[in-house]
Amino acid sequence: MQAAAAHGHEPRAVVWPQDPQFGRASAGKIAMWIFLVSDGLSFAGLLLAYGILRGESLAWRHPGEPSLGVAFTAGLTFLLICSSVTMVFAFEAAERGDRRRAAIFLALTAVGGALFLLGQYTEYFGILHPGLTKEGLVFGQSAYASTFYVITSFHGAHVLSGTLYILITLVRWLRQKATAAQIELLGLFWHFVDLVWILVFTIVYLIPTGG
Amino acid sequence: MSEPAGAPAHRSESRGRQYLVIFFVLFVLTVVEVGVSYAHGPKAQIVVVLFALALVKAACVALFFMHLKWETRVLRATVVVPLSLPVIYALILISEAAWRRLSG
Repeated sequence: MQAAAAHGHEPRAVVWPQDPQFGRASAGKIAMWIFLVSDGLSFAGLLLAYGILRGESLAWRHPGEPSLGVAFTAGLTFLLICSSVTMVFAFEAAERGDRRRAAIFLALTAVGGALFLLGQYTEYFGILHPGLTKEGLVFGQSAYASTFYVITSFHGAHVLSGTLYILITLVRWLRQKATAAQIELLGLFWHFVDLVWILVFTIVYLIPTGG
Repeated sequence: MSEPAGAPAHRSESRGRQYLVIFFVLFVLTVVEVGVSYAHGPKAQIVVVLFALALVKAACVALFFMHLKWETRVLRATVVVPLSLPVIYALILISEAAWRRLSG
């Protein structure tokens, strides 16, 4: 953990006592994990419903409905993986007390999140070419369309809140009001968003619709 | 982190290398996943391979980026046990659907 710096503008570092069950994991970290587990169960419910609907359907994608862009979304997946790496480097720098490096990596992570959201907007509505909504994938017209929008927008809401969380933490870090431990909690949330996307990408995009 | 404090600079350096290795592994597995999704063959086999690759990638993120590898056994169990239940539930549903198809 970061060195104790109780004076001046440096935030007060809390040295958490050793616990026989949870080691030095703080109450904040345990609370974040409990939140992530409950959030993970929400995603699990959505993906199970998706699996049941898709498994029971005779034709998952109806004529006229577009297929999902695997190559484009693979790029978005790579972007999220990159942002996870910048996040771990932000925490690593914060832990060492390298404030400038931590701020740069936090900013890069926020840029990654913003680009992912831009990519998702492009996928839905299109910027240089028609998006899925204009190509015939309309919410409410089929289980294929509705489950796609519900699952990916639920994940997108997490990316949006995660990006805002990063920006708020970055401002607090620059004003020397955030600690390395708080960046670790932020990292847990951001990596969770990446982890969930890995599963969403596989289940929603990669499993072939034919055959 | 739940590990005892000690030599943070050295630990930071080794962790930095580890993060880059995991990044490379995730990148390669993503490329393999996309390749597998375009492969021709029995759909069931493709789905099993895709799920296996996704689970390996998810485990890499949880263990290394989320530091679960260095947490106590109790904290790991607090996370892994509840999240394993939907997977078991999914396996039961898949088995049941397969059974109905085979018998009907």
